[in-house]
Amino acid sequence: MFTLAALARAIRAGKISPVEATRQCLDRIARLDGRLRAFITVDGDRAVAAARERESEQNRGVWRGPLHGVPLAFKDLCFIRGLPTSCGTKIADYFRADQDCTAVTRLVDAGAVTLGKLNMTELAMGAFGDNPHHGPARNPWGLERCPGGSSSGSGVAVAAGLAAGALGTDTGGSIRLPSAACGITGLKPTYGRVSRAGAMALSWSNDHIGPMARTAEDCALMLGAIAGPDPRDATASPRRVPDYLAPLATPVSGLRIGVPENYFFENLDPEMETGVRAALDVLRSLGARVEDVRFPDPQTMSDVTNIVSRSEATALHGHLVRERPQDLGPFTRTRLELGQRIPAHDYLQALRLRARLARAFSESVWSRVDLVAAPVIPEPAPPLEAALDGSVEEITVRQGRFSRFTRPFNGLGLPALSLPCGFSRAGLPLAFQIVGRPFDEATVLRAGHAYQTVTDWHTRSPRLD
Amino acid sequence: MAEDKFQQAEVADLLGVIERLAGELSLSEEPARFIAALDDAAPAAHGTSAARGSAGAISGPPH
Repeated sequence: MFTLAALARAIRAGKISPVEATRQCLDRIARLDGRLRAFITVDGDRAVAAARERESEQNRGVWRGPLHGVPLAFKDLCFIRGLPTSCGTKIADYFRADQDCTAVTRLVDAGAVTLGKLNMTELAMGAFGDNPHHGPARNPWGLERCPGGSSSGSGVAVAAGLAAGALGTDTGGSIRLPSAACGITGLKPTYGRVSRAGAMALSWSNDHIGPMARTAEDCALMLGAIAGPDPRDATASPRRVPDYLAPLATPVSGLRIGVPENYFFENLDPEMETGVRAALDVLRSLGARVEDVRFPDPQTMSDVTNIVSRSEATALHGHLVRERPQDLGPFTRTRLELGQRIPAHDYLQALRLRARLARAFSESVWSRVDLVAAPVIPEPAPPLEAALDGSVEEITVRQGRFSRFTRPFNGLGLPALSLPCGFSRAGLPLAFQIVGRPFDEATVLRAGHAYQTVTDWHTRSPRLD
Repeated sequence: MAEDKFQQAEVADLLGVIERLAGELSLSEEPARFIAALDDAAPAAHGTSAARGSAGAISGPPH
């Protein structure tokens, strides 16, 4: 199975045409997606038409950009004119925007072909990848296992080779959780690195859009296309976008990588811990200086992030509880109701605390190391049925536990890359995350690429045919 | 009813965190300082800007 970067090179070299690449994906979707449910909307006819246009451009020597002819798919909260944007709800056109999602537009401007819109948890809430309206996306490594959420379809589509890459969004872990559960590579960029215009907001203080693909190099390629200022999103940073590809070749020797000695290895599944520690050994063997570092209480950051997310989610989507409660799944309804109980005073205090906690983290961690490495999920993807068993309260507790290693980095706004680092005895992906300084995606991706240059976990594919 | 009690307990837990820590905040602390914290901790900008989606940016060996 091609990586996105390899496919882009093959198209450029004329070894495969945009139409062939697109048809291969559409054939796989037709063959497999009845089981996998990665897509909510497949836009096959327009995808083939766009691929033909890319091919015609190629024949005329016109090159749109580094993703010319590469078939991608997008989480169903990215608005694209002419396609429904359900955001995982029962309402086909739940979200509308004046213009297409900026990140999608930039990928298309760079040559990408849009295959369609991907499954997700309802309103991007939830860590397991279930959906009461569209059906759960199925983890290709074990169809009865959680694919991770909320960008469940993005994780499944890339892992199953239905798309060369995908966009996900991450408010509490929603890019990294499905990336980890499905054995692919996913990047939550720094807060403000990628415009969120044209994408449904869940929590404007914690939302991030980012790439999900097979490798760190793929993510670098996509990030280079989507990052940068945008007059349509006031939170998009005016910082210049560096070249994310060229530094990938720089060795990681001498980089200081901190391993949290608190929180992240507590109650961790033993197989997951073995995989993460082995990944650290690989980075050490490449010359990185791996050392323990103590984090300012990550649970506090997680709690503060929760208060902010839940307040903002209810401000944005709470009208559904009043107007169409019967159309909401019980978990989503409960989450939105909870937000109504948080006083404005406490929400604002949480935002003030967040600023202070971010500075405290910088002072104690970035003064000592260049990167941080930690687990992403506390265990390999659990059975979906077991994850969703019991009352809403029990499920809520499980969801919080499953996302407890990702959520702190949303509050901190830091770039975090999830990478596969092995398989459990049951054949399920193991994963770790590399976290960097604000706006230092280049170093995060460089370390991820170095790891993937000497390992082959990212090359494994599930057997589906 | 059980759902209601659970929500009350969960919110109480979260708000307890705020109550415990908010007293330590200085009067000058405000939400916008989060963006300043990100900027302060970012590495110095490199002079390696590349136009978004620039052609010819594909590099490295195939996997």
